[in-house]
Amino acid sequence: MTAGGTTLASALAGEAALVAGALAVLAFDLTGARNWAAGARWRAATTLGGVAVLVALTLVWRVGAAGPAAGGSFMLDALGTASRAGILVLAGLTLALTNGARRLRHPAEFVALVLLATTGLLVMAVAQQLLLAFLALELASLSLYVLAGFDRTRPESAEAGLKYFLLGGLSAAFLLFGFSLLYGLTGSIEFTAIAAGLAQPGLSPLLAVALVMILAAFGFKVAAAPFHLWAPDVYEGAPPVAAALVASASKLAGFTLLVRLLWPGLGAVAAGSGLPGWLPVVALISAASLLLGNFGALAQSNLRRLLAYSAIAHAGALLLGVMAAGAAGPGPLFYYAATYGLATVGAFGVVSVLDQAGVGPGITDLAGLHRRSPLLAGCLFVFVLSLAGIPPLAGFVGKFLVFAAALRLGGLHSPAGVLAFAAIFLSAVALYYYLGVLKAALVTATTPDQETCITVPVSAAVTLVAAALLLILLGLLPSALLGLFS
Amino acid sequence: MQLSATHLWMIPALPLLAAAIGSLTPRGGRQLAAGTAIAAMLGAFVLSCGALVTALAQPAVHGYANFAWFTLGNEVVRVGWLLDPLTAFMAVMVTFVGALIFIFSLGYMKEDQNFTRFFCFLSLFAAAMLGLLVVNSLLLLFVCWELVGLASYLLIGFWFHKPAAAAAAKKAFLTTRIGDLGLLLGLLWLYHVRGTLLCYDGGAGVLEQGSLTALAGTTVAGGFALSTAIGLLIFCGAIGKSGQFPLHVWLPDAMEGPTPVSALIHAATMVAAGVFLVARVYPLMLADQALASVPVHALTVVAGIGAITALLGAAIAVAQNDIKRVLAFSTVSQLGYMMLALGVGSWVAAIFHLLMHAFFKALLFLGAGSVIHAAHHEQDVRRLGGLGRRMKATFATFAVGTMALAGVPFLFSGFWSKEAVLHAAHAWPVSSLPLLVGLVAVVLTAFYMTRLITGIFLGAPRTDAAADAHENSAVMTGPLLILAACAIGLGFIGTPAWPWLQSNLGGIVVELESIWEAPGLMLLSIGLVVTGLGAGWAVYGRRRNVNASSVDPLAQAAPGLFAVLAARLGFDEFYAATFGRANAWVAALADGFDRRVWGGLVSLLARFGEFSGLLNREADEDILNRGFDRASAAVRGAGQTYSRAQAGETHGYLRTVALAFVVFALVLLLGGVR
Repeated sequence: MTAGGTTLASALAGEAALVAGALAVLAFDLTGARNWAAGARWRAATTLGGVAVLVALTLVWRVGAAGPAAGGSFMLDALGTASRAGILVLAGLTLALTNGARRLRHPAEFVALVLLATTGLLVMAVAQQLLLAFLALELASLSLYVLAGFDRTRPESAEAGLKYFLLGGLSAAFLLFGFSLLYGLTGSIEFTAIAAGLAQPGLSPLLAVALVMILAAFGFKVAAAPFHLWAPDVYEGAPPVAAALVASASKLAGFTLLVRLLWPGLGAVAAGSGLPGWLPVVALISAASLLLGNFGALAQSNLRRLLAYSAIAHAGALLLGVMAAGAAGPGPLFYYAATYGLATVGAFGVVSVLDQAGVGPGITDLAGLHRRSPLLAGCLFVFVLSLAGIPPLAGFVGKFLVFAAALRLGGLHSPAGVLAFAAIFLSAVALYYYLGVLKAALVTATTPDQETCITVPVSAAVTLVAAALLLILLGLLPSALLGLFS
Repeated sequence: MQLSATHLWMIPALPLLAAAIGSLTPRGGRQLAAGTAIAAMLGAFVLSCGALVTALAQPAVHGYANFAWFTLGNEVVRVGWLLDPLTAFMAVMVTFVGALIFIFSLGYMKEDQNFTRFFCFLSLFAAAMLGLLVVNSLLLLFVCWELVGLASYLLIGFWFHKPAAAAAAKKAFLTTRIGDLGLLLGLLWLYHVRGTLLCYDGGAGVLEQGSLTALAGTTVAGGFALSTAIGLLIFCGAIGKSGQFPLHVWLPDAMEGPTPVSALIHAATMVAAGVFLVARVYPLMLADQALASVPVHALTVVAGIGAITALLGAAIAVAQNDIKRVLAFSTVSQLGYMMLALGVGSWVAAIFHLLMHAFFKALLFLGAGSVIHAAHHEQDVRRLGGLGRRMKATFATFAVGTMALAGVPFLFSGFWSKEAVLHAAHAWPVSSLPLLVGLVAVVLTAFYMTRLITGIFLGAPRTDAAADAHENSAVMTGPLLILAACAIGLGFIGTPAWPWLQSNLGGIVVELESIWEAPGLMLLSIGLVVTGLGAGWAVYGRRRNVNASSVDPLAQAAPGLFAVLAARLGFDEFYAATFGRANAWVAALADGFDRRVWGGLVSLLARFGEFSGLLNREADEDILNRGFDRASAAVRGAGQTYSRAQAGETHGYLRTVALAFVVFALVLLLGGVR
């Protein structure tokens, strides 16, 4: 079964490697490592998982942009390759940070779930068919629900898992309903065929309902307002490494699938002649996310909740990139999502290390971090400034690319232009709460009960420094990522 | 090994790299700084030899590699590298002499605290000097020209804690700046007229025929040809840098710097840059020769300035007592010779003399450095004496340098190059004055050098410092021996019997006739050298029972003349009384004007500013700040309000999602769906 010269086996070799890796992790933990100490089991599980991710990365990179595969169910294009590679890198960083998360029991299960979730995310990034997209999304989501509720020592974690699951269930229902309406309208589940089917009749009330349902589901997936309500609770309650995966790789995969569904699939009804297509809805969601995310973050005293609101605000900016992707291509959107993911994984990595060291979750608990661990403070500095979009870090370049693409759509007077302008304005608000975090970490003096130094595990230190260096490098050489799309 | 024009930049790049490393080396990294500097210089020497091989393959061709440097509006500024025998010979000389002087400095500067900085500055100088040689653009040449000036400033003032050194550095910088202003004006004018400053550019360069014809054909104020005016302005730069009359006053003072610096910068290389510059733009200087109706030819001015400087320097050198000052005025005089040769139409003779002079004058300065180092920094001839017995290597090599400078016949390089200059002056149809001046200077040169060498090395030690002097280590005598070998041997590349250098420099086969045409002239000049040496020996060589306070025999014979010469003809006093006074007067006037008129105005403005600032502050505190604070509070309040709305209740969340779906669907449906 070949299409475009790529066999299904080679197209999905990366995903296969991850599944094999997940099984190997479980099997080894049950046999070889059964009587090992917890630390050794963690090391074994994360090492095996890391190897699986590396193998998958090589396989995915080797297949490259080979064109449609498996009769058009998959689309192996530049976006797919870049997105899969990005997801794997983010998942790999998450795994490296996981090593030594002492609070969590059952290391093998945790790592296996991370690998399974990553598998789902990988398929999402290349799926070009409604059914496949839904299955991949569900595989990823179910794994993530469990990961969010994995910390059984804290009731917040269970609450987070439950909330995530309940809202996820609702959004899955929306998505499935929307997909079935779409199938009913066009008679096909493949994006290309759907596009062909929609080209003629244009927007109908039924299609409008389907569109809103799909957008609501994706709004949930990428934590965009007003479907974002789960995010602060989940980010706060879930184990930090699980939250890192939810905020980074899952977001990147969600945006990849969304842009692939909206532009090649539903591009015909983006903005019908005289009729509002899905573009205005996306614009509304984007505006709501930008406003609620930035203003909500202002009031937070908990670093994880702040990161959640920052994620919502970034989702708004990313939706701008989705709107612009029709004209500017997916390059700016991917660059933004990937580098945002890096910064978020880094920030949650710092949170995770602090969590294990017994530092409280509040922003004020960061006081004197520069004395207690200069490494953590320095890395946090880079991550937070990148989230805030300060040059020369990658976050700035991402914002610049997306806003420039949005402004080119129709100038300052178009909705996208106004939104871009609002987003730039809200960046100033964002700077306030980001700098508040840095002020606590870098300026405020330690209180007497915070005198101890924080020891950072070697794997976490290496991972954080690597992520920080990547952010600086990608900021200085944006063409390294953007070149994939030219 | 070959090095084409495209890769010529590597020659200055090596010392520049060494300077960068040196600047980052902490004070303790003496070996690193000196090692990289010397290694870079040796590397540059090897590359320069490669460039020479390449250039000699086609001596008549100006090889160049041009490229766009940057774009300003529609104007593309192009620069490039230029490889011809002139460049290559100069580069080989600079790197060779430079490397030897770097090695000598290892010994001479051994005790200095700022050893690493010294080598950093030396490398910077070498980079700038080599850059000046290899560029094909007068713009880049000017940049390097100013950089060598900067390096010279830094190195003259290297011992800046000595007030004399600091003052000398300032004087050198300001005096050469006067000449550089002329050079800059000339270059600007040239760029204005021709739209480029590239020397050679496939027919479009400023030194090529089309440009020269246009420049010579244009007449400017006073009946001068445009080429004459621009040429003379460029020559102003050469006057300043090469210590020509009337801007020669800085060069003797520059001897306050460490002696290796005097040898490298203020004898062998930088001061010769003016001669090189005129030789580089020689086609421009020649452009007005064919015109009959101009008031003066550019080269005539060059010859006149050169002749005056040659005589003046030699005369003043007779009455100086500081070793380095004698040599400095000797340098002024020899540079005058070179300018004279340029002026009378033989740039080949000028460059020949430049190259030979670089070797033997570096030798003399290093010899002087060796003496000074041995004699505990005593450099007054009257307080030395009798060093010849204990410093045999220094004495022998200094004697070789002296004979080369004096032009002792046949064996020494200075003889052949000086003869070339004198014969060129002899062949000049315009006037025989330069020749006369040159011949008088020959006698004076031989005389003052005899006086110097007898004073230092012969007789009995006149002070304890002189009595205590001992020969220096091999790291200092080694370069002396090598340079002495060059001072003897190198002359043979330019003898009339085998004019290899001349024919390759000019890219033409020089006929053997030139120097034999006037055999009487050669005999005359040999006779004059013998006269000078004999007179020197007669006056100074047989003195007995002298001590440090003995009066000079010449001062006894002609006290007035000697005093005037010893006071360097009063140039410094004259400048201080005229330009210095005028400057001080203008400065005082400007100061008063500044304080009273402008100062009053400014303080009035300041009052107004203070007042408006006061108003502004009030407005700011009461209106803007409070408003901004209130807005910020409102923004934070909005956040608080909103976060209170999200209370963590899952039912509420689900309801919100459903509500949002309905709202969005209604927006789409009511928004005009059919």
